[in-house]
Amino acid sequence: MTIETCAPAAMPGDGPSELRSNPRPEFMRGLVASLPVTAGFVPFALVLGAQAGQKGLSALETPLMTGLNFAGGSEFAAIGLWTSPPHLALITAVTLMVNSRHLLMGAALAPFLKALPKRRVLPALFLMCDESWAMALADARSRKTFSLAHYMGVALPMWLAWIAFTTLGALVGPVLGDVETLGFDMAFPAIFLVLLRGMWTGLRAARPWLVSLAVAATGHLLAPGAWTVAAGAIAGLATAWLWAAPRKTGAAA
Amino acid sequence: MISLPVLATILAMAAVTYLTRIGGYLVLRNRTLGPRATAVMEAAPGCVLIAVIAPHFVSPRPADLLALAITFLAALRLPMLAVVPIGIVAAAGLRWLLG
Repeated sequence: MTIETCAPAAMPGDGPSELRSNPRPEFMRGLVASLPVTAGFVPFALVLGAQAGQKGLSALETPLMTGLNFAGGSEFAAIGLWTSPPHLALITAVTLMVNSRHLLMGAALAPFLKALPKRRVLPALFLMCDESWAMALADARSRKTFSLAHYMGVALPMWLAWIAFTTLGALVGPVLGDVETLGFDMAFPAIFLVLLRGMWTGLRAARPWLVSLAVAATGHLLAPGAWTVAAGAIAGLATAWLWAAPRKTGAAA
Repeated sequence: MISLPVLATILAMAAVTYLTRIGGYLVLRNRTLGPRATAVMEAAPGCVLIAVIAPHFVSPRPADLLALAITFLAALRLPMLAVVPIGIVAAAGLRWLLG
């Protein structure tokens, strides 16, 4: 899409990769790509906010958590464990476990961030969630360069929607009822399946995914919980490690 | 409106989460990865995403499995903006039909 180029200088993401061009079209490209995914956040945010409200978190404490932490899985886990007063050590440890996948995600993104200064990357990584990361990485791989303005356009609406709708959930929680019967929970698998299609490079490269799926699904059947995400991811990565050809030349993508 | 133990817990959560976000980048930003590590990094996004949605693949409700199959077929061809409503409508409709 073409967007009017009116305000050049100080967009959130004008980095070395965008020195040639105005970052605004890049930001808008990210924003447009982000909208369907951001819409998918809404039901989850409402449910999380409603649960937080029922656990006694105020309409100020709820957005403080969802805005500063901005990692849905860990917030659902934390709210599930929430007591009054909350068990700080337990909730922090669970948050760390659920979000440890961010370490891998940041590492996967790192090669694309080499051209950018740390002072720009570190604040930007605050907004790295599963979806913003997957979209940014897919974009960086297909365009052979990471666009910080595009990333900000993708991530900012997600963050703002997450804060706004968890707050709304905390306010209207008790009258909301059961969101699941309406089918909104299918939004996440739908989003993730489309993202996976974008990453598809053939069955051979996707074998670790199948291992992750099998391990996480089996784990879920045996003992449902956040640990299944970590177990599935680690099993898939171990597979990728074992099946990688050690003598393959270089880091060709 | 904000109690101290709640504030402390929220700040502790926020701190560890941010550390996970910058940790991978800070450790690997100035390194070149070997082929095995590269293979792991290339597989990582798909592995994490599919592990997150894995419970949907083993749902005990036939309606949910059918809705997931429809969503999967839609995701093979259609853009995100179409796949998300298809998934939601399929899930709502099939749950209404099949319980």
